Amino acid sequence: MLFLRRTLPLIIAFVMGMIGILVYYSPHSGAQALEQEVTMWNRIVFAFALVLGIYSLMRLHWGRVQRQQAGWAYSFLVFVGFVVMLIFAIYNNGQGPLKPQVIDSGPFVWMFDYVQVPADATMFSILAFFIASAAYRTFRARTPEAAILLVSAIIVMIGRVPIGGLISDSVPAFSQWLMAVPNLAATRGILLGVSLAAIATSLRIIFGIERSYLGGGEE
Amino acid sequence: MKEFLLNIDRRIIFIFVALGIIIPALGSFNLPIKPTKNVRSIYDTIEEVAAKNGTILISFDYGPGSFPEVQPMALAVLRHCFKRNVKVVGMCLWPDAVGLAQQAFDTTSKELGAEYGSNYVFLGFKTGFHSLVINMGRDFHGTFPQDLHGNNTTELPVTQNIKGLADFDYVICLAAGNSPDDIWIPYGQERYKFKFGLGCTAVMAPDQFPYLQSGQMNGMMGGLAGAAEYETLVQVPGTATEGMRPQSVVHLIIIAFIILGNVMYFLYGRQKGGVQ
Amino acid sequence: MSRDQIIFIIFLFIFATINIFLFGSGSLSADWTGFGTFIAAGITLSLYSFLYKDNPLFKFAENLYVGVAAAYTLTQVWYTVLLADVVNPLSALDSESLSNLWLIVPIFLGLFMLTQLASAKFSWLSRIAFAFVVGLGSGLTIPRTIAAKLLKQVETTMQPIPFDLFGLDLLIILVGVVTVLVYFFYSVEHRVASKIGIWFLMISFGASFGYTIMARLSLLIGRVGFLLEDWLVLPLPLF
Repeated sequence: MLFLRRTLPLIIAFVMGMIGILVYYSPHSGAQALEQEVTMWNRIVFAFALVLGIYSLMRLHWGRVQRQQAGWAYSFLVFVGFVVMLIFAIYNNGQGPLKPQVIDSGPFVWMFDYVQVPADATMFSILAFFIASAAYRTFRARTPEAAILLVSAIIVMIGRVPIGGLISDSVPAFSQWLMAVPNLAATRGILLGVSLAAIATSLRIIFGIERSYLGGGEE
Repeated sequence: MKEFLLNIDRRIIFIFVALGIIIPALGSFNLPIKPTKNVRSIYDTIEEVAAKNGTILISFDYGPGSFPEVQPMALAVLRHCFKRNVKVVGMCLWPDAVGLAQQAFDTTSKELGAEYGSNYVFLGFKTGFHSLVINMGRDFHGTFPQDLHGNNTTELPVTQNIKGLADFDYVICLAAGNSPDDIWIPYGQERYKFKFGLGCTAVMAPDQFPYLQSGQMNGMMGGLAGAAEYETLVQVPGTATEGMRPQSVVHLIIIAFIILGNVMYFLYGRQKGGVQ
Repeated sequence: MSRDQIIFIIFLFIFATINIFLFGSGSLSADWTGFGTFIAAGITLSLYSFLYKDNPLFKFAENLYVGVAAAYTLTQVWYTVLLADVVNPLSALDSESLSNLWLIVPIFLGLFMLTQLASAKFSWLSRIAFAFVVGLGSGLTIPRTIAAKLLKQVETTMQPIPFDLFGLDLLIILVGVVTVLVYFFYSVEHRVASKIGIWFLMISFGASFGYTIMARLSLLIGRVGFLLEDWLVLPLPLF
C-alpha cells in the first residue's frame, strides 16, 4: 500500500517530468506525438481541477450555512448567485447543456454583463482610493533609496499620461527611457533569478526531493 | 492646521480622487496623445499583415476585473483588423474572458460589417494554459476541432489553412496576468518564432520590457494609456482616449498629495518620529 | 435608529428616486437592457459603499458576485472542455476514431483528482493525478525556461556595445543586470555592486508603483464612466 500511496506518485512525477524534458529536445515524430498526447491529457485533468476548486468553494460556503456561522446569510447568497447562473447555463437559451454554448444573448449573458462584469470591475477599482491614500501616507523620502523610488514613480506617473507631453516632450521621453533601461535591467535581474529558482524547484519535484504537492496525511 | 496636513483623513483623499475623475470626465478639454514606439509597432505589424491578407490570433487573457483597461485595446485592435480586412481568430486562456471577447467581436463586427467565419472566428476558452499552447503549436485543428458555436475549424475560411501557431502572421495577447511571459513566450513564441505583441494592464507593463528588448515581443500597449495610443492610431477615440483626461488630473492630484506629505514630513514629521 | 441606518435609508431613497426618474423620463429603457443597467449601477454603488465602511450592501454584492463567477467558470469548463473534448468525442466513437479511447486516461486522472472530496480511504488516488500534473508541468518548464528566459535574456544583455548613446544604454543595462544579480545572489559582501543594484531595483519598484496607481485609477475611471454615461445618461460633455 505504501508503494501505491507514496512511491507510485513519485515514479509518475519522475517519468512525466523526464518525458516533458526529453520530448522538447527530440525532433522525432514519435516524441512529438507523445508530447501532444500527454499535454492534451493535462488539459483535461486541468478541467477536473477547476471543477474540484469550485466544489471546494461551494462546500466551504455550504458548511457555513449548515452551521449557521456568523454571516451565513452571505454564504447563502453565494449559492443563490451560483444556482441561478447555473440554471441559465443549463437552459442555454433553450438548447440544453449538450449543444454548443449560446454566448451572444440570453439570461446567462445578461447575468454576466450586468452582475459579474460590474461587480468584478468595481471591486478592483476600489483599490484606486486606497492606493492614493497609501501613496500620501507612505511615500516619504526618508532615505536616498526611498527618494529614488519616489522620484521614479512621479516621473512615470507624469510621463505616461498626456499631461507629461504638455509640460515638455522630454518628460515622456525620459519616462520611457526609465522604463526601457534601468527598469529593464532590474526586472531582467529578477527574471534571471526567478527562472533559476523555477528550474531548481522543477528538478526537485522530478527527482522526488520536493513532495509538498502530495499533501500531508498518511504517507 | 499643521496636525491636519500631517494626517489628512483618508476620506478627504477619497473625495479628491473622486472629484478628480468625475469633473474631467464631464468636460471635453483635449489632451494630445502621442503614440509611443512600442504601440506603433503593433499597429505597423497589423498593417504588414493586412498587406499580405494574413491572419492574426488574439488571445483574450483577462477578466472583468481589468475590463476598463484592456477591453479598449481589444476594441481598437479589432477595429483596425476589420477595417484592413485582416482575418482574426480569437481564443481565451481565461474562462471569464469569453463574454468580454464576445462583446468586443459583436461591437466591432457590427460597426465594420465583418462576417463570422470569413473575417473572424471565436474559439472560446480551453483549460490547460501551457499545455494548450503546446497543443496549438503543432496541431491547431486537433486542439480546436470546433469553434465556440460548434462549427468545424477545418471548414471555416479563416481557420481552414491554419495548421499550427507558426501559420499565424501575428499573435496578440491581451492580458491581465502571467500569460504573456509565462505561457505565450516560453511555450509558444520560443519554439514557433511567430511575431508576438502584447496589450496588458499597467501593473504588468514594467515587467515586460526585457522581452521587448530581446525581440521576443515586438510591441506592447501598457494600460489605459497604451489603449488610448492605439485608439489614436486607428483614429477612433473611445473610452481610453476619454479616460486620459481624468487620468492626467488624478495623477496630478496624487503627486500633489505625495509632495504635500513629504513637505510636511520634512518640516514637522521627522521631529515627531514620522507621520502616522 | 443609528447613524449608519439613517445613511443606509437615505442612500436607498436617493438611488430609488434617481432610477424612478431615469425610467420615467425614458433615459433608461423599460427592457432587460435598462433593467440590467439599473442592477449594474446598484451593484457598483453597493460595492463603493465600502469606502464609507464595511456594510451589508457591500457584502451582498460581493457574495452574489462570487457565486455568479464560480458558475460562469464551471459553465465554460463544461461546454468547451468537458463536453467538446471529452463527452462528444467518446459518444461519437467509431472505427475511425478509436484513438479517442485514450481519453479514458485523463478522465481517470481527473476522477482520481476528485477523490480529494471522497473519504480518506480513496483520497490517496488524487496523489497520482497531482503527480502527473506537477511532474509533467515541471518537465515542460525546464527546457523552455532555459531557452526563453535564461539564454535569450543573457544573450540580449551581452551584446556588442557600440560607442554611442545606444551603446550607453546597453552598458547601463549590463551594469544593472549584473549588480541586481550580485545583490540577490552572492553571500560574499560586495557593498558597491549591491548598492548600485539596490538603486536599479528602487527605480524599477518606483516605476511599478507608478504604473500600479495608474492601473487602479484606470479601472475607477471605467466605472465612473459607466455611472455617468450608461446609468445617468448624462449628455456629455457638460462643459
